[in-house]
Amino acid sequence: MAVKEGEVDRYLFWVDRVSTWTGKAFGWLVVVLAFFVSWDVLARKFFDAPLAWAYDGSYILYGTIFMMAGAYTLARNAHVRGDIFYTNWPVRTQAAVDLLLYLLFFFPGIIFLVWGGIDFAELSWRVQERSTTTSGGPPVYQFKTVLPIAAVFLLAQGVVETIRAALALRSGVWPRRLGDVEETETKLAQQEQL
Amino acid sequence: MSPEALGMLMLFLLVFTILIGFPTAFTLMALGVIFGVIGFGSVDIARDLLVQRTYTLMRNDVLVAIPLFLFMGYMIERSGVLDRLFYSLQVVVGPMNGALALATLFTGTIFATATGIVGASVALLGVLALPAMLRARYQPAFASGVVTASGTLGILIPPSVLLILYGFVAGVSVPRLYAGAFLPGLMLSGLYLVYIIGRAYLQPNVAPALAKELRQHVTVPHALWLLLTGFLPIAVLIGAVLASILVGLATPSEAAALGGVAAIGLAAAYRRLTWQNLKESVFLTARTSAMVGWLLVGSGMFASVFARLGGAQLIGDFVVRLGLNEVGFFWLAQAIIFFLGWPLEWTEITIIFLPLFLPLLEPFNIDPLFFGIMTALNQQTSFLSPPVAMSAYYLKGVAPTLLLNQIFRGMYPFLAIQVLAMGVLWLFPALATWLPDVVYGVIGER
Repeated sequence: MAVKEGEVDRYLFWVDRVSTWTGKAFGWLVVVLAFFVSWDVLARKFFDAPLAWAYDGSYILYGTIFMMAGAYTLARNAHVRGDIFYTNWPVRTQAAVDLLLYLLFFFPGIIFLVWGGIDFAELSWRVQERSTTTSGGPPVYQFKTVLPIAAVFLLAQGVVETIRAALALRSGVWPRRLGDVEETETKLAQQEQL
Repeated sequence: MSPEALGMLMLFLLVFTILIGFPTAFTLMALGVIFGVIGFGSVDIARDLLVQRTYTLMRNDVLVAIPLFLFMGYMIERSGVLDRLFYSLQVVVGPMNGALALATLFTGTIFATATGIVGASVALLGVLALPAMLRARYQPAFASGVVTASGTLGILIPPSVLLILYGFVAGVSVPRLYAGAFLPGLMLSGLYLVYIIGRAYLQPNVAPALAKELRQHVTVPHALWLLLTGFLPIAVLIGAVLASILVGLATPSEAAALGGVAAIGLAAAYRRLTWQNLKESVFLTARTSAMVGWLLVGSGMFASVFARLGGAQLIGDFVVRLGLNEVGFFWLAQAIIFFLGWPLEWTEITIIFLPLFLPLLEPFNIDPLFFGIMTALNQQTSFLSPPVAMSAYYLKGVAPTLLLNQIFRGMYPFLAIQVLAMGVLWLFPALATWLPDVVYGVIGER
């Protein structure tokens, strides 16, 4: 980071970093998921000893991965968007559209998710809910808590993106965002440009 | 405003905001919430609906296969298998006309099958196979066409993520879909093969035989060794993953998990299991899974509010009033999917727009499995149809000296073949329905 960061930038990067770190940390669960399911398959087919919580465990890992990586994906601007017009607009138009649409179309949904999710998880904790797919299934209240937590991370990242749009509207330049790994096609294309 | 009018306004706003380019997942979610509050006249109902829809998607057992297949794909992509595959196949096909193009097609088919990631397949082939073909004095347009077409096969040939998503939204079993897509996928690859051989035979200057000084001189044992190390491991890996799904030995998620572990092993065997490669695979998997997962969350909320407002019913009535027969409706739907492929990505089409058609399949007596396979074939064309053709841009990204026009020109014959394949599938639906019926039995007979 050669460029001197202003106060605002520092706050924005800090949230980027928290989102990114969280998303990546939970991303490692995919390796856990792969070994967990493989282990269950082998134990079941060859040793006739299935894991008791295999079914619940696999969706719990899946749900946690994608929910918790939501904010990280937003921080990298990697949520799918129809961009045929958008990419060709000048920065200020992009920023104005983003700013307006974040206020109109981002916060209503996410705030409802945070708010509803807290009640949802709280009820589950109160009854110490367990999965009913098998008798003596694993507890699910921790898993249900992932919902409001992931929504809170998204909310914070959304605030950051809104501020970025406001900054870009004023300055005409998109503020920098934190970079990390790129898809192979992007990486190869960048190498080719050098 | 009547509920139906609200539903229509909702659909209009959706199309409008998607085209403007706001992240689709959140647009869908917010439209669902806003119109839910207005339409149901209750904040609590809308809020609880959103939470319930989200949790339903978090605990879905079909979707578990998505991050696992993505991880397997990213890992295989980084294992260096493509280089070995291409080199070993190149040695095997020898110096004949169009040999490199055939090696590219085989490499692309196997690699795309294993990874299912279009962008990476095209870019990697563009870095490896394209320069090899250009050095051998292939016509650049033809070479680009081969690379872009071979790299896009992965979204159709199982195990494809597209078919998992379709199975999820249409309620069709994913293994049945995989069995159904198998023959059409092979047919498409076969048609490409016929075209490449034919063109190289008729116009040797387009894809000339390798010049003497470019030929690899290898002994027979060495060639066998190359095949054993370059071709066999990946072929066995992907063959085992597919076969175990098709014979019902494992669910798609289980096969994907085993495939992911095997991919780690493959990378280790090729000495590519570095911390960097593992990290990249994990992070990209997390990001892509989140992209798909949150799109499903947004779409789930949107669709349930839209249906409750009577929007789905309204679309149904509208289509009925068009007075189409089965064939008319089928192709109208396919045409809409084709054109949606211009501004949108296949994830958005599958998750957001296909559910609008699906309730109409039953009244029109269309097999959802057959419709799904045709749709997958159709969505492949959007990667090759200019001016948006993503494949062309992936290739241009890694081969800046090529002109976009050259790439487009090379893609047209393959696009024509894709359209031809759709026609053949329409005339012979058994291509898609025969294998699933043989493997899993005819629905209703069990």
